[in-house]
Amino acid sequence: MTRFACLAASLLAFQLIGTTTLLGDEPSQDDINFFEKHIRPLLVNHCYECHSEQADDIGGNLLLDRKAGWEEGGDLGPAIIPGNPEKSLLIRAVRYVECDLQMPPSGKLSDEELKALEEWIERGAPDPRTEEKRTAKPPTIDIESGRQHWAFQPLSSPTLPQVQDASWPQSPIDYFVLAGLEANHLQPAPPADKRTLIRRATFDLTGLPPTSEEVHAFLADESPDAFARLVDRLLASPHYGERWGRHWLDVARYADSNGLDENIAHGNAWRYRDWVVSAFNQDLSFSDFVAWQIAGDLLPAEDESRRREQLIATGFLVLGPKVLAESDEQKMRMDIVDEQIDTVGRSLLGLTLGCARCHDHKFDPIPTSDYYALAGVFCSTRTMETYKRIARWYEHSMPTPEEQELQRRHLQSIEAKKSEIETVVQAANEQLLSMLESGAPLPQDAESKYPEETKTKLKTLRDEVAKLEKSPPEVSSAMGVTEGEVADVAVHIRGSHLNLGDVVPRRFPQVLTTHDSSLLPADQSGRLQLAQWMTDPAHPLTRRVFVNRLWRWRFGEGVVPSTDNFGLLGEKPTNLPLLDFLAQRLIDEDGSVKAMHRLMMLSSTYQMSGQFNAQAANIDPTNRLLWRRTPQRLEAESVRDSLLFVSQKLDSKMGGSLLHVKNREFLFDHTSKDQTKYDHRQRSLYLPVIRNNVYDALELFDFPDPAVLNGDRATTTVAPQALFLMNSEVAWDAMLHMAEGLLADNDLSDRTRVTTLYETTLGRPADDREIDRALAFVGQYASDYVGETSQHDVRRHAWRALCLAVIASNEFIYIK
Amino acid sequence: MSRFMLSRRQMLQSAAVGFGNLAFSAMLAEESSAAQNPLAPKTPHHTPRAKRIIFLFMKGGPSHIDTFDYKPALERDAGKPLPFAKPRVTFAPTGNLLASPWKFKKYGESGIEVSDLFPHVAQSVDDLCIINSLHGTNSAHGGALLKLHTGSDSFVRPSMGAWVNYGLGTENENLPGFITICPTLAHGGVNNWGSAFLPAPFQGTPIGNASVPAVEAKVRHIIGRHASTQLQRKQLDLLAEMNREHLQATGPNAELEGRIQSFELAFRMQTAMPEIQDLKSETAETLALYGLDDPVTENFGRQCLLARRFAERGVRFVQVTHSDAFVQWDQHSDLQKGHEKNAREVDKPIAGLLKDLKRRGLLQDTLVLWGGEFGRTPTAQGNNGRDHNPEGFTMWMAGGGVKAGTKYGATDEYGYYALENKVHIHDLHATLLHLMGLDHERLTYRYAGRDFRLTDIAGRVAEGVLG
Repeated sequence: MTRFACLAASLLAFQLIGTTTLLGDEPSQDDINFFEKHIRPLLVNHCYECHSEQADDIGGNLLLDRKAGWEEGGDLGPAIIPGNPEKSLLIRAVRYVECDLQMPPSGKLSDEELKALEEWIERGAPDPRTEEKRTAKPPTIDIESGRQHWAFQPLSSPTLPQVQDASWPQSPIDYFVLAGLEANHLQPAPPADKRTLIRRATFDLTGLPPTSEEVHAFLADESPDAFARLVDRLLASPHYGERWGRHWLDVARYADSNGLDENIAHGNAWRYRDWVVSAFNQDLSFSDFVAWQIAGDLLPAEDESRRREQLIATGFLVLGPKVLAESDEQKMRMDIVDEQIDTVGRSLLGLTLGCARCHDHKFDPIPTSDYYALAGVFCSTRTMETYKRIARWYEHSMPTPEEQELQRRHLQSIEAKKSEIETVVQAANEQLLSMLESGAPLPQDAESKYPEETKTKLKTLRDEVAKLEKSPPEVSSAMGVTEGEVADVAVHIRGSHLNLGDVVPRRFPQVLTTHDSSLLPADQSGRLQLAQWMTDPAHPLTRRVFVNRLWRWRFGEGVVPSTDNFGLLGEKPTNLPLLDFLAQRLIDEDGSVKAMHRLMMLSSTYQMSGQFNAQAANIDPTNRLLWRRTPQRLEAESVRDSLLFVSQKLDSKMGGSLLHVKNREFLFDHTSKDQTKYDHRQRSLYLPVIRNNVYDALELFDFPDPAVLNGDRATTTVAPQALFLMNSEVAWDAMLHMAEGLLADNDLSDRTRVTTLYETTLGRPADDREIDRALAFVGQYASDYVGETSQHDVRRHAWRALCLAVIASNEFIYIK
Repeated sequence: MSRFMLSRRQMLQSAAVGFGNLAFSAMLAEESSAAQNPLAPKTPHHTPRAKRIIFLFMKGGPSHIDTFDYKPALERDAGKPLPFAKPRVTFAPTGNLLASPWKFKKYGESGIEVSDLFPHVAQSVDDLCIINSLHGTNSAHGGALLKLHTGSDSFVRPSMGAWVNYGLGTENENLPGFITICPTLAHGGVNNWGSAFLPAPFQGTPIGNASVPAVEAKVRHIIGRHASTQLQRKQLDLLAEMNREHLQATGPNAELEGRIQSFELAFRMQTAMPEIQDLKSETAETLALYGLDDPVTENFGRQCLLARRFAERGVRFVQVTHSDAFVQWDQHSDLQKGHEKNAREVDKPIAGLLKDLKRRGLLQDTLVLWGGEFGRTPTAQGNNGRDHNPEGFTMWMAGGGVKAGTKYGATDEYGYYALENKVHIHDLHATLLHLMGLDHERLTYRYAGRDFRLTDIAGRVAEGVLG
């Protein structure tokens, strides 16, 4: 749409002239003849395809198939100023001289055609075509009826539904689930056994399998609250934040590099990641969790360390991919704002606000003016340090006390050098004066008359100052936003920054607010108010969207299956009372996410087995009503982490950066040399997330594209996953380590080794048949082994092959 | 979107085995509808003119005015200022007009001029349809690469190969439908062959990358590690047995079944891929035709020959990238030296590919596309370089359904702006899809609340290039 460039400034003027130009006279027959002979065929041949009623999508909303069309004009205003070709947009476009306004798009008209058009307009653009202005105006959005959509309605406070089988529910949520099942003549599956439960809960809350000791302890605990205490233990584990923080990072499109065009390092993004992990571990209230990410810099902080956290949290708004080498800085600015609106909209509100950038939202009651009202908030926020190529995002400087000390000392040494210079100069001047007649002023170029020795000394000192000033001590900083220059933004017609419409005051989407209630103060960006508005308990979307995410991450499908879209094109909730109950409960629990976990996990719904039931499968084939537990494939991180965990190779060190490239340095430059390194043993969460080159061990298992938010990871089954498990170095090394561990104790029997292998990996002992089969395999593998190596080595290889088969098995990869 | 299983149909729609439909053949037989597998061949919208695409991508932006867009006025007015305005946004400042260091000659029956940079390709000029009026919107490499490969220079969108794969599926059940040989990892990297929101099976499979010599380029993890294939077979047999027992206990579950098959497919691929990449079945004459007998052309020649081998095995979209470790075709300075080096590396291999496809009867339904992310300015950067120019540049097509031996569209007399029959990147995409039997307006995918297209809301088929 940039073809309409260079015109924004003069647009208004054209509109004024256009609307006031009236032609009183009827066109003469000669004029009509001219039109019919030269102009109509030209318009039909070159313009009607896009600029007539017949066009699928009327170009720039300009109709050239009727007089009223060019009079009224399209998005850019009247196309023709009768009598004035020079000022007519149409002429400017067909002359093909302005870079961004060239029509027809397929190529320039002939000189004769151009001349004809000019002459026609000089004649006053006589046009006998009398079709109505426009048969169908584009429909306008009706905000009032838009409010009727279920997701925009206030939260209800549902009461527990009646159920027939009152013995089944353990938790309030069970009533909602059971009511749904009973209404469809379905019965819940029987409860899962304890081995299944501990494996399910441990993977669910920590992303790792339980150790065999943990399994045995749980089996031995026969108290009625054994499972509740297990859940508490897991929620208290620091691995909980690693697992659930990672879920949120999917939604935050977290990455350690920019991706897109210039793939440079987000050297400080890890602080945001670590903050998210700790927010889950600390059970930060949901309201704070949201508010800090939107406006942490503007909220009061309890103390200095909270303040740091709040600043770091605003990294959420900066993490998006940006076209950092965009030559058109204004376009870059609006693209970055667009990414922020899209992310905030979908992650927190379940709204595809980004759809309203170029036109009113086609499905949701979000007019373009709402988009630019919100764009005003983000335009008034400082996200970038500079837009100059290669553009730099903003970072909060947050020196630690040690770094502050370093800074102080650094300034001190500069000052010391400067005063030394001062002293030298003074002494030299005095010496100089003493050599002159008394009372004579110091010469202008005194320094040039200093002794050589002094000159050299001064130069050295000054060089030292310059060097010091150029190398201030590095201090901690974090990606984040701050307030910018506050201004409202004009509607960008068809999304183009070169084509501006009316300025809209900053406010929040009308369908979710009462009239003008959300107008924002003139001296603030409005981010603070945005955070307050979103976290207000009365907001119909924020909590619904979040509890739905929790449900999705736990059960594999959201109550609203389209987790990131609660708009009209999103899917409807399968159980709205359940969703509202959960959202209400989040408010009642003061935003405690851990309380929500307990609520969901200490339920019969969660603790069902995966037992298949053909009849139920017939009625509800996709198990939307939850008549059983659906087996779930381990997520990418859990595949790798458990592989390392069971082979005792996992390093449990938390946090910090594993990025070996400095902040803002290239991960990939034009040489395609791969700078990424993933040979670490810490949890996958801590591996650098490099856009455009995600670690393949993760990408293969559906780690989402970190450039776009994703609250609903796919589960694909593709052959390269098999290749990875069969042939990758990671899998081979881990399994060799595991085999060596099993073989290390000479006193163990091979039968015990197989049992240990099963206990460690699958959380259950192997039966005799399985042991026999495993040992037969090991024996056969060793005897068929070709190649020069020792007996011992052959045995290691054979056991490794066995270990690999077990961890590649569906039983290991799928959670019952 | 973890698939709740049970419905085979749903399973097949969502969780297909990436490299083809063999893994599902048994289930497909039961379903008696091959269309359920996302990678199974699909019926195009209209009769296709080409069945597959080979895209020869020249990373960095080869100069059109020094290769396939002859501008006598540039020589005449060299050293003078450009007599009209430069674009509102440029990548870098440039000075006055710079003559091409190369001579142009007429070739073939068509008499189309080609510069001395491409003497071999010039021999096939009667097979080419040279589009001189390409234009894009982005003057930086990253944006322009993304625009060319995905249609968007602002957002992460599926690549054109993924769209083609999505629209048509693939004909070889043992191979991916979209292969990219030695792609550049810079300027969009994986986005340039990614599937974005399209399901993962449609994404491109990279073989090596631009920093790896073609002879060493491989699909990740394709090499088996066991001491012998028989040992691996034993291991997979054990795994299959365990998985079958597990399935028995779990109840019907297409996802688990699919996973069992995925190991078998992976095992077969392990054999298939190295076979295709092993060129020993090619004659010395063929190897020489692609320039594999010359160290200068060996690397790109191998890529081109691999492209033919994948194409003849039914891979739907093959991309070959020329991207050296220096500045590629990005001659902001030393135009003569840089372009000469690049052209020497690719000219003979490309000509060899065209001849080879033709003599094997493959050219008639293979669409070959050549070009970079933009062209270069007729005005000088420094004293001997040219800046990026997305306003007007050249790509050419050959084979499947294009009007051979012709030029289409034109730039102004110096080659700065596309003027006649302009072909925007969106139009190029619309035209490629059209030739493949797909209507760019009907090839849509619903995501985040709307239907997406490769051509976004634009794109017109350039009818004039259709043969």
